[in-house]
Amino acid sequence: MLSFIGRSVVQKIITLFFVSVVSFLIIHIAPGEPSQVDPMNPKFTPEVVERFREEFHLDKPLHVQYIYFYQNLFTGKTVSWKDNQSVLQKIWERFLNSLPLFIVGTVLTWTLSFPVGIRSAIYRGRLYDRSATFLSYLLISIPGFFFAYVLIIFVVTHFHVPVIGMETFGTGNTSTVFVVMDRTWHLLLPSVLGATGGIAVLSRYVRSQMLEVGGQDYIRTARAKGLPQEQVHYKHALRNALLPFITMFGLILPGLIGGSVIIESIFSWPGMGRMAYEAILARDYPVILTVNFVSAVLVLAGTFISDILYIIADPRIRL
Amino acid sequence: MKDNRLISVQDLKVYFRSNATTARAVDGVTFEVDREETVCLVGESGCGKTVTALSILGLVPVPPGDIAGGRILFKGQGLLDLDDNNMQSIRGNHIAMVFQEPLTSLNPVFTIGDQISEAISIHKNIDTGTQRERCVQLLRDVGIAAPEQRLNDYPHQLSGGQRQRVMIAMALACDPELIIADEPTTALDVTVQDQILRLFKYIQKTRAMSILYITHDLGVVTHIADRVYVMYSGVIAEQGFTSQIFNHAKHPYTRGLLASLPSRSKRGKRLYSIPGSVPDPAHKPEGCPFHPRCPHAIPSCWSEYPQMCDYGEGHLARCPVLFEKTKKTIDDK
Repeated sequence: MLSFIGRSVVQKIITLFFVSVVSFLIIHIAPGEPSQVDPMNPKFTPEVVERFREEFHLDKPLHVQYIYFYQNLFTGKTVSWKDNQSVLQKIWERFLNSLPLFIVGTVLTWTLSFPVGIRSAIYRGRLYDRSATFLSYLLISIPGFFFAYVLIIFVVTHFHVPVIGMETFGTGNTSTVFVVMDRTWHLLLPSVLGATGGIAVLSRYVRSQMLEVGGQDYIRTARAKGLPQEQVHYKHALRNALLPFITMFGLILPGLIGGSVIIESIFSWPGMGRMAYEAILARDYPVILTVNFVSAVLVLAGTFISDILYIIADPRIRL
Repeated sequence: MKDNRLISVQDLKVYFRSNATTARAVDGVTFEVDREETVCLVGESGCGKTVTALSILGLVPVPPGDIAGGRILFKGQGLLDLDDNNMQSIRGNHIAMVFQEPLTSLNPVFTIGDQISEAISIHKNIDTGTQRERCVQLLRDVGIAAPEQRLNDYPHQLSGGQRQRVMIAMALACDPELIIADEPTTALDVTVQDQILRLFKYIQKTRAMSILYITHDLGVVTHIADRVYVMYSGVIAEQGFTSQIFNHAKHPYTRGLLASLPSRSKRGKRLYSIPGSVPDPAHKPEGCPFHPRCPHAIPSCWSEYPQMCDYGEGHLARCPVLFEKTKKTIDDK
């Protein structure tokens, strides 16, 4: 077990190195330099551009730039080219904003998909299954941004609560109860919206996985023993049906960054996804690359966690 | 004699319905198993053996399956009329089943100890310590070495033969009156097959239980069976004591099966095989289902469904043609 963890960590560090090289190259080789974002701006005289290039080492060869960048990243000195703020500081702030959205969305998705999917599989072909199927395909087909606007209009006109942003501006002096309620309303809509698509897709997977396992010989054995239906479904079938979801569970982590760009944009939520999106538009290389690096770390951490979970959950996997 | 009857299946019909067709997998099967008796149900693949076995335990998936008719009486109690709860208290407790594929019939994520003690704990209210002792005893009875350690093993850590022994131990867990063994040796290699057969015989003797043994292998039948039912295309073609079937087969299908057995006297010769294959249960031929493959078929076989002909002493065959030939009509008796 320990040797597996050691080996796995070493492998992942090597992968991370290649990711860092490739992402660095892609960003730098892509056309358009940071100095050319706004060529019509009268402040960007050739001298200013030259000074800018020099200051951020853009005139140096790529491998030197690479070393400069990652040296700064690991010593925590990377700053955004846009506003000269520390990148790690910026990401941390945005991360804390994204976190509640991510947690509520993920918890909703994973707690609701399983009951819905399992019930669909048990009542296959009956009314419950058919309506769940219809509803999930409806939710999968409706574009998220459209659904978001429908929901915003509905909530705002019927409940008269503001839902854009993280909080209503100027609530600082009101009672704690009001602030909490205000925050909850703001949090609810984007996270529910983020979860609906996830529930629709995940519950389909759960259903098909349960049906697949339900046809296995050992399920027949469990029934032949005289086990009640609930135990056959929730013990023998579910335990096996869960295994493939460990992989998906490990891949939730990177969703912290990329999973919510659209929703954060629609709701003006100052989260990670929106920051990354804005950084790309501004060609703010340090922010883009740092976000990239952090998400690569999250992906690798996610796969590492799912590897460990597999070892715990599936006795057939031994090291 | 009547009290000795453990289970009787009467005119059982199990159909599988799909949109266009109805597959009559079991089409009026009647047989009995007495106490402490080993009965073999023999037939080719696809003749309805397994469906018959599954419907005894109520394990035929409905839909698409449909119990279209008949009765199953277990100690006088109609199993087909029982609700889920009552059926669950029969399964594993009074009637247990051993399946064909030991490799896939055990749940891969639970230890064999868990799976056996589960079978005990559903039906018997005993504490975990006693359950464990009983598991060890069961594993020892089915011939697994070092059962204390094996309890914590997962199915993939055992060989095919060991897994089938575990399946048998699981079936024995609640001392059932009847064990249904559905081709339990088909997936195993020959030496292990022999061991498992001996194990069944040993169990049957020491525990005085009945075994309904389903197989396509006539060689197995001679080793284990007291009585034999030969099944063809969803019906019983011939039934009788093992010696009657093997020495005086009265149905052309049974004769064909026996002729296709390899034996010493046929060494060096090409083995006989029955021409053709089992009819598709959705498109059975008119009249006798065996007539397209039968060397004795006469025109009436094409249109008339054959009745069981009684040769006495429990020997019956569903072939009036051969019955006439032996010149023994029911009136003569």
